[in-house]
Amino acid sequence: MIPLGYYWLNVALLAVGTISIRGSIIALSARTKISERVKQIFTFIPAAILPAFIAPAVFYHQGQVEMVMGKERVVVLVLASVLCWFTRSTLATVGFGLAALYLFTNL
Amino acid sequence: MSPYRRGFKSMLPIAPGIIPFGAVMGTVSADAHLSFFQTVSMNLIVFAGAAQLAAVDLMNHQAAVLVVVATGLIINLRFLLYSAALSPIVQNESFFKKFISAFCVTDQSYAVMTAEQDKFKTNHEAVQFYLGSCLCMMIVWQSSVVAGYIFGNFAPKSLSLDYAIPLSFVALLIPTLKNSKYVMVALFSAVVSLLLYKLPFKTGLIATAILGICFAIFLTRKKAAK
Repeated sequence: MIPLGYYWLNVALLAVGTISIRGSIIALSARTKISERVKQIFTFIPAAILPAFIAPAVFYHQGQVEMVMGKERVVVLVLASVLCWFTRSTLATVGFGLAALYLFTNL
Repeated sequence: MSPYRRGFKSMLPIAPGIIPFGAVMGTVSADAHLSFFQTVSMNLIVFAGAAQLAAVDLMNHQAAVLVVVATGLIINLRFLLYSAALSPIVQNESFFKKFISAFCVTDQSYAVMTAEQDKFKTNHEAVQFYLGSCLCMMIVWQSSVVAGYIFGNFAPKSLSLDYAIPLSFVALLIPTLKNSKYVMVALFSAVVSLLLYKLPFKTGLIATAILGICFAIFLTRKKAAK
């Protein structure tokens, strides 16, 4: 259960921070330009941060490296990644992943 | 047809791609025992899918406020690029339209706007088109989150809905891996995140993001020097 005060503080700060990012250059000037180098680095942000959510959720499931209980999550992740690579579909990736994990863990 | 309507219609082909992600957001919110009001409020005032999903996941693990907010904002940094692209177009609009335009900046609205950029006669027309596409995006996103939230409240626990978060991030990540350098950064971040996982209050996440970006700078600089 997420404590109420903690939740709203996070949401409020995230909202203010996000609109600041979104509105910053619009508020500054129409002439503000972002260098190509910075643009290039920004394209790496998903690769830099998203695996930090994916890897621990797969390998540290239940709070520790658990190669027996967590193995099905690794297999599902690999299969879902391959499927995503070919289909580029969120629906296929998430739908297949959840269904496969259900089958692995319940059958 | 008015620019607003054209914008709305242009977003329709892209909208189905948003639905599964919105549904995951709603389902995960329900799974985290967030109330309907909390879920919808966050959607309305933050309106940034990946950052919201990351935030709910981190809050569920009682991460430090600084970590939750910093992580969300790092994910949202890409909006700076879209804001820069939108800036010259909205400069002569009212404060209200500028604010709404900024608030509605998303990957999808930016993509639709860029695809149609050469067809506008005036900046005013472009803004109207953009706001129309944003309205469509907002309706589809909110509806899919609500649908996901309802589903999440009824779905059986055996479905392991928590796993929808890493799966959604896989779906977001893979299309961005344009060449081997992106793959190397992703693998680097995965390994570092595991090594730093035990750091308190999930601070390892921020450290991973910073190290991952530094690694990307290193990789791309090396290429420039050759």
